[in-house]
Amino acid sequence: MILVRAPLRISFVGGGTDLPEFYQKHPGRVVSATIDKYVYVLINPTPLVDKFTIKYQKTEIVDHPGELEHTRLKAALLDLGLVKTGLEVGSFADLPAKTGLGSSSSFSVALLRGLHAHLGGVLSNRQAAEEASRLEIELVQEPIGKQDQYAAAFGGFNVFQFNSDGSVDVSPVLADYRKRAVLEEHLLLFFTGITRPASSVLTEQRSRVDQHFETYVAMAESVPEFARRVLEGDVRGMAHMLHEGWTRKRSLASMVSTSVLDALYEAGLASGAWGGKILGAGGGGCLMLLAPPGSHASIRRSLSDRAAKDRLEGFKEIGVRMVQSGTDLVYRNQQTPVR
Amino acid sequence: MEGFIRTFVSDVTQVMAGLPIREIAKAINMIQAVYERDGRIYIFGNGGSLALATHWVSDFNKTVFSHNLESHSRRFQAIRLPSTEEELSAWANDVGYDMVFAGPLQNYLQETDCVIAISSSGNSENIVKAVELARRRNVPVIGLSGFDGGRLNELSDARIAVKTEKGKYEIVEGIHAVILHLITKYFQDYFDHQLARRSSGG
Repeated sequence: MILVRAPLRISFVGGGTDLPEFYQKHPGRVVSATIDKYVYVLINPTPLVDKFTIKYQKTEIVDHPGELEHTRLKAALLDLGLVKTGLEVGSFADLPAKTGLGSSSSFSVALLRGLHAHLGGVLSNRQAAEEASRLEIELVQEPIGKQDQYAAAFGGFNVFQFNSDGSVDVSPVLADYRKRAVLEEHLLLFFTGITRPASSVLTEQRSRVDQHFETYVAMAESVPEFARRVLEGDVRGMAHMLHEGWTRKRSLASMVSTSVLDALYEAGLASGAWGGKILGAGGGGCLMLLAPPGSHASIRRSLSDRAAKDRLEGFKEIGVRMVQSGTDLVYRNQQTPVR
Repeated sequence: MEGFIRTFVSDVTQVMAGLPIREIAKAINMIQAVYERDGRIYIFGNGGSLALATHWVSDFNKTVFSHNLESHSRRFQAIRLPSTEEELSAWANDVGYDMVFAGPLQNYLQETDCVIAISSSGNSENIVKAVELARRRNVPVIGLSGFDGGRLNELSDARIAVKTEKGKYEIVEGIHAVILHLITKYFQDYFDHQLARRSSGG
């Protein structure tokens, strides 16, 4: 049995510039940080049972991986030739899917690290990120970029640069614990209660990259400045940049924001937040705000009032801390080979 | 005599000024990640570097938390390898000196761990063997080397090379001790800060 743990992430600025329509023409950049909320993947070979048993929100039991509905698992098992001997794969998470925290790519990175370990191999962070990107983008044909796979595989606070040849430069934002604490103490994260798969927003967004090319350039160019502000502990400056980035991103596709999301964000600003954004591709997910700690109570009140008016039943605050660890193989039993 | 001392101090100061600060910061993040996943930290070296490894273990396991020993239920798990003289002599006598670190490391090493290897030349065969084992298992390596960094620097994820002329052991080993105390102090402050945040409800 193998257990792998992968963190979720919050992405600050540059999201969308990791799409090939952009980075093939201009270097894309994203800055993000992993948080203390995780996806777990458990892999257990069952040599005496000739079935593939997959447990996530539902349970699938099939004779051959080709019959699976779970697209990523099906593609991964077929790609690695894991079609003969019985296998159980279970997925567990601290938060539900489609919250804009990159959980589906965290799952893919954890899955691939685990399946390769099951086969007696080892993936480096970079290989795990690349393999997960290949699984999601090439094999499953998700219209997504590569930032989440890299964020989950490497862990920590990083700037990722996406080059035209497909390579990715990873450069850590080496903020000390005090700077990280200052950011955490200003950060509020709310799950809006609205979920939407990233693919529905991204398909529209990708078809219009050329039309908004200069906006993407501005988003990518703002990443080093955001990283500088993190190192300076300038939370107000970061908030301002989040607001600017979110305003730009809203213009990229019709479904990035909705009137309900706009109303929540406006309620946050009106109660004292300096700035923020919707996390993930948009259309739902989480709202992140940076706000002086003294205003947090009133922001919480006005946002939950707003959410109640819009009948957002799943609306909830999520307490987060940033973490350094990436996707880790946290357990393997004796039956699993070690090189 | 004063001239000798002045020259030595000036040599040390010059080397200190060129320390790879970003690499030390990366090492701190790697140790933070190991702490988050409850992994272990294996530290080893030859001769004076083995003494430093032992010193490091003591500082990580106790000094880092010593302001509030009782308040930290989860602490660092640092282990010097080999952990007994008996293992050291058994591996050296029965198998060879090149296996005194990799041999015992093989018994312990998990993917959640990290390794701190200390070698002034960066080329000690036994250090290189242990670091290669860690790399094969995707375990992050912090390498403290000297001179031109040697193989150890090439094989490390955090490349803390104290660059000097070849053979300046006295300078390299002294500065390695400074780096050990720098990292110890960082985490001592970090854990004090964590406690202060917890008690203020932050």
